[in-house]
Amino acid sequence: MIDLNDRFSEKKNFFNRLILIYILFGCLFLYILIKTFSLQISSYSDYELASLKNKTREILLQPSRGIIYDRNGQIIVNNTPSYNLIINPSEITNLDSLLDQINTIISLRDSDILYAKENFKTKSKLNRELVIKRNLSKEEIAKFEVRKYQFPSTFIDERYSRESLYPYLFSHSIGYVGNLSDDNLKDILSKQNLSPRETIFKYSNGFLSGKTGLENIYDKELRGSFGKKIYEVDASGRLLNERETINPIDGKDLYTSLDIESQKVAFKELNNRRGAVVAIDISDGSIVTYISSPSFSVNQISNGLSQSDFDNLIYDNNKPFFDRASQGRYSPASTIKPAIGLFGLENEIIDWDFTIDDKGFFTLPEDGRIYRGWKKGGHGIINLKDAIIESSNTFFFSLAYKSEINQLTNYLSNFGFGRSVCLDCFLQDEGLLPDPTWKMNNLNFGWFKGDTVNLGVGQGYMSATPIQLAYYSAIIANKGILNKFSFVQNENSESKEIFYSENIDDDDWDKIHQSMIGVIENPKGTAGRLRDLKDYVIAAKSGTVELVSTETKEDYKIIREVEGKRDHAIIIAFGPMPNPKYAISVVIENGESGGSVAGPVAIEVLNTLIKND
Amino acid sequence: MIEMKNILKTKIYFDPYLFISISLLSIMGLVFLYSASDGNVQVIVKQSLFVLFGLILMFIVSQPDPDFYKSNSLAFITISFILILLTLFFGKEVNGAKRWLDLGFFSLQSSEIIKIALPIFLSAYLYDKALPIRIFNTFITILIILIIVNFVRIQPDLGTSLVILIAGLYILFLAGLSWRFIGISSGIFILSLPFIWKNFLEPFQRQRILTLLDPNSDPFGSGWNITQSKIAIGSGGLQGKGYQMGSQSHLDFLPETETDFIFSVIAEEFGFIGVCILLLVFFFIILRCLYLALNARDRFCRLTIGGLSLIFVSTIFINLAMVIGIIPIVGMPLPFISKGGSSLLSFYIAFGIIISMASHKKLMQK
Repeated sequence: MIDLNDRFSEKKNFFNRLILIYILFGCLFLYILIKTFSLQISSYSDYELASLKNKTREILLQPSRGIIYDRNGQIIVNNTPSYNLIINPSEITNLDSLLDQINTIISLRDSDILYAKENFKTKSKLNRELVIKRNLSKEEIAKFEVRKYQFPSTFIDERYSRESLYPYLFSHSIGYVGNLSDDNLKDILSKQNLSPRETIFKYSNGFLSGKTGLENIYDKELRGSFGKKIYEVDASGRLLNERETINPIDGKDLYTSLDIESQKVAFKELNNRRGAVVAIDISDGSIVTYISSPSFSVNQISNGLSQSDFDNLIYDNNKPFFDRASQGRYSPASTIKPAIGLFGLENEIIDWDFTIDDKGFFTLPEDGRIYRGWKKGGHGIINLKDAIIESSNTFFFSLAYKSEINQLTNYLSNFGFGRSVCLDCFLQDEGLLPDPTWKMNNLNFGWFKGDTVNLGVGQGYMSATPIQLAYYSAIIANKGILNKFSFVQNENSESKEIFYSENIDDDDWDKIHQSMIGVIENPKGTAGRLRDLKDYVIAAKSGTVELVSTETKEDYKIIREVEGKRDHAIIIAFGPMPNPKYAISVVIENGESGGSVAGPVAIEVLNTLIKND
Repeated sequence: MIEMKNILKTKIYFDPYLFISISLLSIMGLVFLYSASDGNVQVIVKQSLFVLFGLILMFIVSQPDPDFYKSNSLAFITISFILILLTLFFGKEVNGAKRWLDLGFFSLQSSEIIKIALPIFLSAYLYDKALPIRIFNTFITILIILIIVNFVRIQPDLGTSLVILIAGLYILFLAGLSWRFIGISSGIFILSLPFIWKNFLEPFQRQRILTLLDPNSDPFGSGWNITQSKIAIGSGGLQGKGYQMGSQSHLDFLPETETDFIFSVIAEEFGFIGVCILLLVFFFIILRCLYLALNARDRFCRLTIGGLSLIFVSTIFINLAMVIGIIPIVGMPLPFISKGGSSLLSFYIAFGIIISMASHKKLMQK
């Protein structure tokens, strides 16, 4: 029992303590209010965004890749539809009976059934489509279409595959597509402010990107941009309803300057021999023929190849993947002679009347070393024109001997040697235009006069790719004015390269043309065999690349027992004269004779091009 | 007529302020619950019956004289304790917890009963003890509290056992526990925290506390609830997304929308303005309780009103603090708003008793 005094103090005590607790809670509630304020007002935009992100799911839509055409508007690479049987799991209650029912009209493999059963639940929960069978045949499609009404929530949908209509003809020029690596995909999407995520594919192979050739160079244009579908989703990721669709922008079609007919001819003429053919439309520098042989099927590469087939291609000694046209390095050999001649004229070392007495060899005054020509006993008294027609080595040995090497290499680069000549060739090699600095840096040797002499007949360290040889051919044909090469018409009008020269005039160009016409038409010409293969005039210069240096023809006979040691055959040509429209270069590895082996190939391709104009 | 009024005045014990504000809160609760349950009519009908029954119960409970509660407090606590024991043995197990006694038509959460019975019993025990309360009485009180708390804790029901613990401590404090004792025991409590952490908390309870400290460490695991709740509240903004328009709650990002996280639904759909209006109603009730406690007729009534109202305040605080992520998730309903039978009814009973304590005046004070 407590008394009155106590009661009074107890009451006061209670008041104080209760109010103390209330104040404490007042503070706590104030804190909660402040915290709620900060969540709802101060950080509102953050949480609003988080909530939006929670409930929306973006699904990417793959654009369709541009079609690639040849110069006549014929399709080379197309998107070919294939048809898949698809179901909507969320609308299906009994999968087994549905599959049984489908199986009666479209036979399903065990693996298809297993895949469907394994994925049914998740797809159904997330409201996604499930592919039951891919690549339906026409018969299967027809069978299904008539009985469609029996299968609610089942439908056939189109997917595409990238297919070349000429799988072997454009393997190195147009190249092939393959799957995109995750990093590349991230890069590509980030340029569109997107990130990798679930995608509705247009192609059965998923994300595509150009791996080689024009598919690679023009990948961005061909690819187009991704679209997206925005869905509302619940916490489990189930798609509820579609909010918005931003359609993909399909890739641009690519109109190339390539000519299907001439490709066919070049491919057929090369007949799987190792070699390359490049032909150019001189008027705009566009590439009309571009073949590297042997070739491979791009369709197999992009649509799946067994490991053993792939290994066969990789380990094939003939290296089908190797693009000889842009990457093959060959000595230009005798085809260099017109350029050396022009150098002599430009620098007034010789003129058209200048002659030497060709006894079949040139002796280097410094050390008495002998440089032989191809004809025993030589060509006698000979001027520049005949030296080109008959392909006199001695003439050009002695001309080169009188040349200053740095001046000479500078001059040769005007013809496209030692530099890139193509705007859109995939991984083009620049070849090699050797000079003393290069030799010192790479071989740790000083430049010998003999090196310059060798350069005079295109042998030695110098090497050029077939596309550079074609450039060289074209710039002579067009008298020193030429666009940089390109596979795409009207892309290159701004890149006109003009040969700067002081002493070469139209007359000189004409005489060079005449000399090169003589290579075929003159009775003494080295490519006289080509004379009757055509009914118009063309200019040419053939070359034979010695892989092994031999003293006598008997020695070479022993050498040629091994195919890989045989000479390479080269020819450059342009025509029809006197107003050439096309220039061409042909290289056939170990083909031995430029005139009689590479020559017919060049003529057949030119025939096709000229006839079809 | 005048006679009638007099009869009403003398025979009926009633506090219009509490009655109206609690009814208002209950109706608001039904409105919120309708949205939180995704328009589940069955849930609303059931909850409406509870509200109706609760309001009637509150009225009935407020009629007896406080002396009735004082003299029967031992009986109340004994019955409650027996119910706790029955739950322990015959309880219905849900999600690994035995908290409910299945009465056929109704699942009784026995801890909700003892939550009310304990403060009344302690008030009855302490109301005539001299000041400051002697160590012996203090220990008896603490022992009773701890026994009951422990029986609830092992169900396990951390939330309710916490409320029972602090309810008991409120009474002890309000009854005049000496400051020296408070100082010493809080010191011991703080020192024994690691021991409590190790021996008295279930692993999932520890995880909840850890998650609170850094919810981002595992946003899709145990941090999911807190993260989603904050997103729901934050994205409500000033005006909210509109009734039944809350994407967080309706697309299942928010867990337990009908019970623990109903405040997040309200905040998402009605924004900061809605939150303020709701809190205003709560504050009104709390302040009314303070007024009634300060004006109660005797020490027993003061202690009981103080204790019961503080249970109410604490429950609100724990629930709100939990959903805005400042304390761990312990499972605590928002009074008069969250779905639930026992907890809802327990608050109607508590307020009925508060009204009884406040409205029965004695001309002759002891």
